[in-house]
Amino acid sequence: MQCENPGMAKEATGLRGSSLLRTAALALLVCVGYYAGANIGFILRFPPATPSVMWPPNAILTATLLLTPPRRWWIYLLAALPAHLAAELGAGWPTSLVFVLFITNCSEALLAAAGVRWLSDAPMRFDTLRRVAAFIVAAVLLAPFVSSFADAAAVTTLLGEPYWLVWRTRFFSNILTELTLAPALVMMITAGLVWLRGASRPQHAEAVLLAGMLLAVGIIVFAGPITVLDAIPDSPRTLLAFLLPFLLWAAVRFGPGGASLSLLATALLAIWAATHGRGPFAGLPPAESVFTLQIFLTVVAIPLMCLAALIEERQHAEAALAERLRFEERLSGLAGAFVHLPSHAMDEAFVTSLRQVGEFFGLDYLMLLDLTEDGQDLVVAHTWEADEVKQAPQRVTSQDVPWMIQQLLREEIVVFSRLDELPAEAVRDQDSLQRQGVRSNLAIPLVAGGRVLGALAFVTLAAERVWPDGLVHRLCIVAQVFANALARKETEDALRASELMKSAILASLTSSVAVLDRQGQIVAVNAGWTRFAREHGATSDGVGVNYFEVWQQAARPGTPHMAEALAGIEAVLTGSLPEFALEYVSRTVVGERWFAMAVVPLGRSEGGAVISHTDITERKRAEKEAQRSRQELAHFTRVSMMGELTASLAHELNQPLTGILANAQAARRFLEATPPAFDEFRDILVDIIEDVKRASEVIQRLRDLLRKNEFQDVLLDLNVLSRDVVKLVSSDAVIRNVTVTFDFDPQPVRIYGDRIQLQQVVLNLLLNAMEAMAECAGGDRTVTVRTRNTEAKTVHVSVQDTGPGLRDDTQELIFEPFYTTKSDGMGMGLSISRSIIEAHGGVIWVTNNPTRGATFHFTLPWANGRSV
Amino acid sequence: MGQREISVNERDATVGIIDDDDSVRRGLGRLLRSAGYQVETFVSAREFLEYGDIDGLGCLVVDVRMPGENGLDLQQGLVAQGHTIPIIFITGHGDIAMAVRAMKMGAVDFLTKPFDDQALLDAVQQALKRER
Repeated sequence: MQCENPGMAKEATGLRGSSLLRTAALALLVCVGYYAGANIGFILRFPPATPSVMWPPNAILTATLLLTPPRRWWIYLLAALPAHLAAELGAGWPTSLVFVLFITNCSEALLAAAGVRWLSDAPMRFDTLRRVAAFIVAAVLLAPFVSSFADAAAVTTLLGEPYWLVWRTRFFSNILTELTLAPALVMMITAGLVWLRGASRPQHAEAVLLAGMLLAVGIIVFAGPITVLDAIPDSPRTLLAFLLPFLLWAAVRFGPGGASLSLLATALLAIWAATHGRGPFAGLPPAESVFTLQIFLTVVAIPLMCLAALIEERQHAEAALAERLRFEERLSGLAGAFVHLPSHAMDEAFVTSLRQVGEFFGLDYLMLLDLTEDGQDLVVAHTWEADEVKQAPQRVTSQDVPWMIQQLLREEIVVFSRLDELPAEAVRDQDSLQRQGVRSNLAIPLVAGGRVLGALAFVTLAAERVWPDGLVHRLCIVAQVFANALARKETEDALRASELMKSAILASLTSSVAVLDRQGQIVAVNAGWTRFAREHGATSDGVGVNYFEVWQQAARPGTPHMAEALAGIEAVLTGSLPEFALEYVSRTVVGERWFAMAVVPLGRSEGGAVISHTDITERKRAEKEAQRSRQELAHFTRVSMMGELTASLAHELNQPLTGILANAQAARRFLEATPPAFDEFRDILVDIIEDVKRASEVIQRLRDLLRKNEFQDVLLDLNVLSRDVVKLVSSDAVIRNVTVTFDFDPQPVRIYGDRIQLQQVVLNLLLNAMEAMAECAGGDRTVTVRTRNTEAKTVHVSVQDTGPGLRDDTQELIFEPFYTTKSDGMGMGLSISRSIIEAHGGVIWVTNNPTRGATFHFTLPWANGRSV
Repeated sequence: MGQREISVNERDATVGIIDDDDSVRRGLGRLLRSAGYQVETFVSAREFLEYGDIDGLGCLVVDVRMPGENGLDLQQGLVAQGHTIPIIFITGHGDIAMAVRAMKMGAVDFLTKPFDDQALLDAVQQALKRER
């Protein structure tokens, strides 16, 4: 059952399910009433005509049937039978007539009650024109009209009285009785006590005054000795006009109830007077007098009832409107109460609101239930009880009312006016609630955003309570206000939790973090930032100031990173860069420190950025330290590698020296010859010069490799670099009978790096390759040096040999320091090669060739990939 | 050519030089020519073996370390083929084992680069005498 559709709510009526005892008591009451009514009817009778002027039993039956459910009608009709027999058998009529008359009386009541039920939306009420009209048509006109035919036929047949006279008398007497007595009875029973209790003292006084005056005027009009009041001769009815103001008074001020009672009193008075030969109709023949009286009363009563109903209807509408306004005012007050409250103040607002709702609707006990964290249960969060409640129920839990909680979690309303309306599966709920003294309950799930957030329960303890659709509907609206408030509270709590978490995370960072808005103004900072600002000589943490201005103020001559940093932040703020990072050195009060600045955009519509400065001084120091030791180690291994190359280098120097010596001595000989042969001299000198250059190049290369250089990051072509290195070992290759071949990328293979260190790597790989093939007996000893620009924007260099290859288990080990397979090796060559390549952002590895030998590879980032 | 050394070597002998290093090869050629010899130079053992008149040469000056077939292998090949041409080895870095092997195979001399002109000329003269 959804809250949006309270029309499906089970409507319990106060009379349904009455106990046997109550039925019996009512039956007895009907019996007594019928008997009394029959006797009054006999009294109000002109002896020659059998039907009375008023015949109360039928109206009493009609009223009874209107007040009771159809399935019990037979009980009350049977209960009336003894009264009927007791009253009528003594009248000297044939027994058969008495029975027939009972049947016609019953049929009239049945017809009337069924008709009203069919036509009216509320057969027990006479407060709208439609309901009064339904009653008049069905009970006042149709039922007497139809039943009177049978009645008259019986009386005519069994007593020989004139048919139409009997029909007319009965018809009109029943019209009058139904019209005046039935509504009066029904309303006295349903609303009389309520009115007596609920009406104010002046209302009581007014009612007494009205009754007194109506009685007084009625007595004067109908039974008074004074005839001078007849203003117009031969028009005795004029007097009756004096009654109208009082009847109208009753209708206007006391509604249909007051009108019907006044009419009843007037009718009784008039008939009593007429039957005793007094009053305005005294001059007429008795039958004519009665008829006139009936017509008069009927004609007055119908519009009067309608008028009363109309006024009542209008008053109801006004009251309903006023009530609705009051409700809406209360509702908006309720909704407003939650709007601007911070989350922590909401609990108090919930309590206040529960009280307001409880007082407004006159409830005993209210509960606001919250969904548990796991979403599986509802627990009581707040309660309110009316002042009259002596002992509030203990807080219920899902163990007490499992069925109700399940219903609520399924977004179903739980409503019952009486505990026994709960279904069989809710037996546990029923027991618990009974112990708690709960009489009736309406529990509405609080749904927002498509899920249950809690529930609102309205409980009565003092009495059972009916929950009409209108009330359920309104309480659903109230519940929606609570649901929205709960949802808001939940959202706000979640937001607060997330805020707390964020600020905790920020506070825990050692980096200094600041959030900038689009204009560069600092919106928020963490504790690290405050510290950072202090170290940089700032007086405040900087929230609210413009970050660009801070930097410009802090700018000193000779801070080259300043412009770059500002441009980077600006670029991120304007969105032209997705992020920005910069490492810079700064002279702070605690000395020179390195910082890494990172700027990332703030992903919100207003823009902005998050800036962090992280102190990387230690890292820088460690990096420098590592670089220095790497350089030393590299140098050391280079020097030791030179040792391996000595023979080759000696050969490399011997060649030009031999050439120089041979040429020079040849020249001397030519010079000493007679005649001196000068024509060879030019060629000799060209060769000598070339040889000297060759020798000095060898020495230069040697010096380069032996020098202890600072790391120099320069643009290099690995084709050129590799070729140079091969020159260093070419003599060695000849000695070792190794052929070195090139397979170079036709395009320059450009990278950034330190020339000496990378030469060292290539040299190391070449020497290793030649070394590996030393064991191979003759045959093909080839080293292939390969360079490639790859599609992955790296360069790939490989040195392939035709040696024995590597055992699989050594492929990783060979890059470890001190791992060596050579008897005279230190095992540092490949290890230092790896650290050099990794320091250049590359990777080095080895593979075995498909046929034979191994290939060492390394890759380095493309020079084009670097922005300079 | 009327030079002093030629009076020692009474005939016009032709000396073959095999060395892959251009400058060394040309320098040695000039040196021998300045002493009055005819000279034939070869870049490698292979080029030498393609030369038609091996036995017409008086002696050979051969670099030990050369790309392709080295000097010692060349000597072994020549001996195997029955050539008796005397050989003078020159080398950038020689070791005793290498020298012993060369001498056993009948080499005239084993010179370590760089060497004095007289040493070479003496060796050539000795070689030419031996052939005689």
